[in-house]
Order: sequence, then C-alpha cells, then structure tokens
Amino acid sequence: MSADTPQPVVLPEGLRERVLAASWQARTAGHTVPQVAEMPPAEAFSRAADAFYGLLCALAERDWRLPVLRDLDVQGLVGHLIGVEEDVHRCLAGDPDVADADHVGSTQLAAVRQAGRAPDQTRADWRRAADRTLELVQTAADPRAEMAVHGIRLPLGALLIARAFELWTHENDILRAVGMPASVPDASMLRLMTELAAGLLPHAATRTGVPGPLSVRLVLTGPGGGTWDVAIGGGPSDPVAVGIVTDVVGFCRLVANRATPAELDLYVTGDRGQAEGVLAAAAALALD
Amino acid sequence: MEPTDALLVARLAAGDDHALAEIFDRLAPAVYSAALRVLGDGSGAQDVVQDVFVELWSHPDRYDLAAGTLRTYLMVLARHRAVDRVRSELRRIARQERHHRLTPTERPLSPSDQVAAGEAADVVRAAVRLLPDGQRRVVELAYFQGLSYREVALAAGIPEGTAKSRLRLALAKLETVLDRQLLETS
Repeated sequence: MSADTPQPVVLPEGLRERVLAASWQARTAGHTVPQVAEMPPAEAFSRAADAFYGLLCALAERDWRLPVLRDLDVQGLVGHLIGVEEDVHRCLAGDPDVADADHVGSTQLAAVRQAGRAPDQTRADWRRAADRTLELVQTAADPRAEMAVHGIRLPLGALLIARAFELWTHENDILRAVGMPASVPDASMLRLMTELAAGLLPHAATRTGVPGPLSVRLVLTGPGGGTWDVAIGGGPSDPVAVGIVTDVVGFCRLVANRATPAELDLYVTGDRGQAEGVLAAAAALALD
Repeated sequence: MEPTDALLVARLAAGDDHALAEIFDRLAPAVYSAALRVLGDGSGAQDVVQDVFVELWSHPDRYDLAAGTLRTYLMVLARHRAVDRVRSELRRIARQERHHRLTPTERPLSPSDQVAAGEAADVVRAAVRLLPDGQRRVVELAYFQGLSYREVALAAGIPEGTAKSRLRLALAKLETVLDRQLLETS
C-alpha cells in the first residue's frame, strides 16, 4: 500500500448493532414508508367492481366483440364474471357444490349465455350480480368463517380480496384487448392483494413442488408493496436462503398469470433456481 | 450483482431491514470518516453515524436519486449533522464561558468537558482562520470569547446589525469551509 492510500476505516466495536437497533426502534422492520391506509376487504371489492363497471360503461359496442381471453370475447368474459358471482352467492348461502367447482368450467354456461345479447343487458346483469355479492357479505353471519368456492378456501375477507384481484385482472384483460393503457390499483388495494398473495405463496409452492424447507424474503417495491419472510415447508425462523425483490405491480401481474418472471424487473439473491420455483408458484395462484 | 442505490432505497421504503444492514456495511465507514473529520472525536462521530442511518431508515423518501449517489447523500448528511454538533458545542462553550465570567465562584468545567470542547473547537478554529478578517474577528469574539452581539459590535467597532450580518455570513462560510475540507479528504 502506498503512503497516499487512505487507511481503511475500522468502525468502533458495537456501532453496527447500536445503529441498527436504534433504527428498528425508530421504525419497525416491515413497516413501509409511506404507510398505507388500511382498507376493509368489502371496500376493496366494491372499488374493484366500480372500476370494472366504469370500464364496461366506457366500451363502444364493437369493443364487446373483441377477443380477450381463452375463446371468450369481452362480452363472454363479463358473462364468466357473472357466473363467478353466482357461484360466490351460492357459496355464501352455504352450497357445498361450488366448493370444488372448476373456475372456468362452472362459469362457461354463464359466459356462453351472453352471446347475442345487448351489451347493456350483460353489463346490467354483471352489476346486479356484484351488488348482490356485497349485500350477502354485509349480512353474512360470521365474517371470519371460511368460505370454499372454486377450489379455494379462505375467510370471507380474503375471498373478497381475491375477487377484487380477479376483477382487476380481467379489467386489464379488456383494457389490453381494446388497446387502452393498463390500470394500477391504489396503494391500499395493492397492499391487500400482496398480503393475500404472500400469505398463499407457501401453499402454492408446496403444491407446485418447490423443495423445502426454504425461507424466502419477498420484497415488493413501490406504493402498496412490503416485505415478507415466506417459509416454505419449514418454520419462519429459518435463515433467509432466497431473496426476491421486484416491483409490486409486476408481482401482482405475475400472480394473475399475466406476466412471466422474465418480464419482471427482478433482483434475486441466493439460489436462482429456487427463486424461479417460487416465482412459478406465485404464477400458479391465478385461477384465470 | 450489486444492487443499485434506487433498488436499495426502494427496499428501505418497503420495510426491508436487510437493505439497511447492507447499506450500513457498505457505507458506514465513509459516513463515520466524514463525521470524524469534522468532529475529531470518535464518540461524537458514532452519534452522527447513528443519526444518519436512523434518518435514512425513517425517511428513505428524502433521498433524491437525481441529486447524487446514496454515498454522497449520506456523507453530506453526516457532514451537516457533524457541523450542527460543532455549532451546538460552540454555543454551549460560549454560554458556559459567559456564565463563568458573570458567576466566577461557580464550579469550573470538568476536565472531560474541557477536552471534548477543546477537540471540537480545534477543528473549527482551523476553519475560522480561513475566513476574511472582518468575519473571523466577529466569530472569535462571539464564540471563542462568548460575547453578545452588542459586545461584539462594541469590541469590533461596528454597528450591532453589521455584527449580526457578518456573523451570519461567517457561519455560512464556515460550513462551506468545513464542507470543502471534508470533500477534499473523502
């Protein structure tokens, strides 16, 4: 080392621990900046429904015939959503037959039924179905009770968030079909969506064969994002082996199966292969 | 691949405590050095390091990517916090000296107080020597001799308003001089 080279600074012993402890005291780890206002799940569903209805009202008649998803045009997709709401109504009424019904198969009839109808009739039917869902939710005997519909079992609040997630996803399917820019939910809505997805990720990872035990730190950046330590096949105290950082909206598109991991701006630490497995599991959460 | 400053700060905002630890491991030595150069005192420099990282963690949104690197931001923050501490220390010295003049029977400064005050003052005295004569004079009178604005004005033979404005200018320059010293050695 030459005489001109500055000597590396050695930090005083204990300074790191002291500084980090003072930092966690100032703001608890996991709390975001800015903090996101909490939103009740029913409000999230109501807002997603309003946004979806607003889009349907803005569509031109020819837009309803545009192909959008699978073999469905826009009108058929709205029909699919009417079918989903009808199954949710049955679920809320305690009908066990919808618990494991296929999300696409069980709503196909409702989708096909829309063919040849006037778009404003389809739109009005969907609005009535969504409003009925909200009415039933408000009168639900036990809002914490587990609901089972289309193969998913979630408390009522989480089910409503999943429904809001689906409405946002299909709203964007239609926006893409008509050549309009994608919509982004507000931070409170995104926070609910990401909380739900992070909470479901261990089950999805186990289902898709991600080998555990594996502790994953998932960091979703941007308003509505957050930090989660996801334990797959192990305990929450396992040291973090894989870190995944990505934009919150991109992650939600992945969970909706509308973006691939390759399309995300990802920062991964740890085993890349394991991280890819976790991301594939996130995409498998989509019902489509 | 090293994470970018933008990514690190986005992680902080998302509540990722690991990101703060990474930033500390990477930049704390530079922040500590920056504080040490101004203060010449390891204990004070540690306090500045704590202030700087608590500030970053509490308000990551205050870092403006367009204004420079995270390293520069934290070093400037450290420098400002260190200069604030020096100013505060000098004011305390001036207050105490004034108090002792008025009440000479009271207990004098403890040896440790004298050492701490002396270390802080030495750094600033070096910077004060670089000021123009008129400004240097008012700083010496106000801070090292502990005179009031009125007394400074009388001693320097200038109006009180001029004494105030010279002192303000001198403090601004003092900060600049300390800044330059810091940047030259960082």
